Amino acid sequence: MPEEESAPVAEPLDLVRLLLDEIVCVKLRGDRELKGRLHAYDGHCNMVLGDVEETIYVVEDEGDEEEVKTVSRKSEMLFVRGDSVVLIAPQARSS
Amino acid sequence: MSFFGFDTRKPAVTGAGFSQARDPFAGLSEQVDDGEALEFEDTYDGLGDQLDETDDVFNDDTFGDTSGITAAPVGKDFDFFGQTAKVANAIDEEHVRFNRQAPVARAAQPNIQPSAAASLAQVPVTTPSSYNYASASQKPARTGYEKYNQEPVAELQVDAALWGVAPKKQQPTQPAEVSAPTAAPSRKFMSVEEVEAQMRAQAKKPVQQAVPSPAPQLQPQTQSQPAFHYDQAYQYAQPTSLGPIPPEHARLGDQPVHPGQGHPIAILQRPHSKHATPPQHVPQPHAAPPVHPRQQPASHVPPTQILQNPNRLSGDATRIVNQPHGAPPVLPGHPGFPGHRPQGSFSRQPHLMGQTSQLPQMSEEEKAAFMEQEAKRAKRNHKIYLMSRDNGIMTPQDKNFVTRIQLQQLVAATGNPNEHGTDESLAEDFYYQVHSQIQGGQRQHPSQPLNNFAQTYLFQTGSRLGGPRRHNRGPENHMQRMEQQVQRAVEAAKNKPKNKQLVIEGSLGKISFSNAKTPKPLLNIKRNETAGEVHRPSSAHKHIQAPTGRDRKTELRSIEVVYSTLMEMEDHDRTMPPPPANDDDAEGRDRHIAWNMAAQELNKKLWKALRVHDEQANGGVHPFIALLSYSKGKKAMERIFRHTTTEQRATILTLIVVNLDNLDVVRGAQVTTGEIQLNAAMRENVELFSVAVMPTLFNFLNELELDLVAGVLGLVCDRNLDMIAKSRIGASMLTMILSRAESIKREGGGSEDAWRAWDAQYTQLFNLLEPSLPHMFPGTVNTGDDMYVWQLLALIGIGASAEQQQRLVLAVKDRVMDTVTLSKTLPRDLAHHRLGNVNLFMHSIGLDVELLQ
Repeated sequence: MPEEESAPVAEPLDLVRLLLDEIVCVKLRGDRELKGRLHAYDGHCNMVLGDVEETIYVVEDEGDEEEVKTVSRKSEMLFVRGDSVVLIAPQARSS
Repeated sequence: MSFFGFDTRKPAVTGAGFSQARDPFAGLSEQVDDGEALEFEDTYDGLGDQLDETDDVFNDDTFGDTSGITAAPVGKDFDFFGQTAKVANAIDEEHVRFNRQAPVARAAQPNIQPSAAASLAQVPVTTPSSYNYASASQKPARTGYEKYNQEPVAELQVDAALWGVAPKKQQPTQPAEVSAPTAAPSRKFMSVEEVEAQMRAQAKKPVQQAVPSPAPQLQPQTQSQPAFHYDQAYQYAQPTSLGPIPPEHARLGDQPVHPGQGHPIAILQRPHSKHATPPQHVPQPHAAPPVHPRQQPASHVPPTQILQNPNRLSGDATRIVNQPHGAPPVLPGHPGFPGHRPQGSFSRQPHLMGQTSQLPQMSEEEKAAFMEQEAKRAKRNHKIYLMSRDNGIMTPQDKNFVTRIQLQQLVAATGNPNEHGTDESLAEDFYYQVHSQIQGGQRQHPSQPLNNFAQTYLFQTGSRLGGPRRHNRGPENHMQRMEQQVQRAVEAAKNKPKNKQLVIEGSLGKISFSNAKTPKPLLNIKRNETAGEVHRPSSAHKHIQAPTGRDRKTELRSIEVVYSTLMEMEDHDRTMPPPPANDDDAEGRDRHIAWNMAAQELNKKLWKALRVHDEQANGGVHPFIALLSYSKGKKAMERIFRHTTTEQRATILTLIVVNLDNLDVVRGAQVTTGEIQLNAAMRENVELFSVAVMPTLFNFLNELELDLVAGVLGLVCDRNLDMIAKSRIGASMLTMILSRAESIKREGGGSEDAWRAWDAQYTQLFNLLEPSLPHMFPGTVNTGDDMYVWQLLALIGIGASAEQQQRLVLAVKDRVMDTVTLSKTLPRDLAHHRLGNVNLFMHSIGLDVELLQ
């Protein structure tokens, strides 16, 4: 693809920039995932997300069987500290 | 606390009490007293030698356990403040008691002491401390602990004696006062009614009592309220005790004003207090008999003495001052309260004294009038004094400084961010700068000059904040500078009307100044249909762009470029140099040219990023329209319009209109007559579009002439009008176009040809739209939220011919009838609202829903 000289993708975070104001999925340490609108980020992957849905995966031991349960909650606005970020991904576009 | 005076004066009396109070140290102090003989060897018990320092086992004995133990026994003994505070009252009492006793002892008047004690014992009502004091005074030997049980609140109180002479030295011995003191205190229990009655009775007598708090002034501030009350009560009671006394004496006694102090409080006195004989005339002998401490013969007491002895100045203290002349030592009972000073503020009226001395010769009315006058004057003087107290606090430099701050605020409030200091000022108030850039930035074109006010203040006087002048200008020329600035502002205002319009080279329109009388007209656009300039920048890059269609990443990247460029442009705008002052200003012109060049570069960059002239992919969506499908793309529209030329804006508008039925907010948001609602995301999308994009387009459209509006309408008609009309955004767009035509018509604008073209276009639109009319409404009648449709219908109705109106009514008749029917079942407010919407339309064709009911 022809790159526009004015917007070279010089570093990975430049890709994150494209996701500004878009819905992103963020995977965090501790078996958590966030899905929300990316308002801001910085070089540490600190992020501010809006309208976030947080999903926590919990493994429960039931006898010999392990079952994964999810707990989810919503936040209007969330600050994510970068050191827990594992992955940032654009949301699969529906349209 | 007058520790020093106290201790030196009477160690014998207080010694026991205090030493007991500091129990833990009693032994120590004795040792110290014993003296010089204290030597280490004598006191050293040799325990240290017994310690086995190599063995840690004993450490507990030495340190460990003691921590717990010592805390208890030492306890508050180390709380010096607390201990002292507790003792404070005791010291006061001792002080008082000593004052009372001293005269007795010296004068050899044993009877005074008991009576005093008795009288004081009754005083207690007012405060607990006085009670203690009374009881304590009866016990010659005090432990110093009496107070602790009853007075949990221990506060250090300032003893006015700090400033003054020891009271005892002034205390004279006067006989014949004994009876009075006892009598006076005994009245202190009188109820208010009693007091009142007494006062009435008293009024008939020649002798008059001064109103409360005839107290002297100028003393130190430690005023205690209880003491004051006591004082009052005491004074009320006084008259009775004076009953038997000859009038002259009584007058003397009543006179609250101590001549010695030179500050009579005439204001506070009741009229009858005028009887008071001027102090100067009071012979000393008179003073003696009158019994009351208040009765001051005071003529000898020089003011200076009073000042030296502030304690005496306080209400009760006055008596003491005068004791040499016969005031009984008894009453000083108050000294227990730190000096109090009633109404000290009225003190500064020495003139009163001389005048009061003439009072006796005046008639009653005159006196009354005089006193009133005096009171007024005193009040006024007091006010003046209060106000003038802060005079001269600010130096001229301070005033200059404040003026400068105010001036800066003035400029900041009315000015604009475009100054060359830039970075420094930006760092100071970044958000304001950006905000005013966005909100106040009416400068449609970068080269449009600043408004006059900003020019006046910012550029003619140099940079407001950042320049070097901030550092090296002297403090004294601020006023001068301000005057100059004001002068310039006036000049600028004078110059303004001369050129009502400013045509900037290379701009597309004339910019009009406005004032209150002639508001600023909208841009007068002289449109020349040479779009070549617009095409040039993009065509250069066209071949580079791959027709990628809806490549999401490319689109996103374009948007980011747009935003970066916008930010650069906004920043660049801030750095705009002032327009060259005149033709000779070569440097200024050069700077301006350079700036304009840079601005154009940025503009090109923005334009390219917008991809307006990119080719449309096969069957795909135009790239620019694709950008608009992102919410951040929509949000950028307003800023984009601010930084583009009119040509470019027109192009964008055209592009949007041409692709109206390709907009996701139109295509994906078709209204249905069913109940199916749009999903939340699309609703949000539509909402955002109508908030972010529509107003921008609307503003721009409102600057267009009729021929262009007709052209736009023609473009719409070429599209899928049914689809457009059945979306909220599409309908709003139609409304927008029609309303612009209406307003041009109202203004009388537009040429004959233009109107003819418009009418033709309108007819075409109507014909195309007619089949869609009944289906434009979102949802069923019950859904409501169809106001925008009625608005569109109203505008269509206004422009329609009679025949068209009839067709129009036929098309939407059902909906009208349904709404009217429905509104009958709705609550009143809601029904009113719905009918109002319908009436928007009905009124436009000269009807009213009332006719249908």
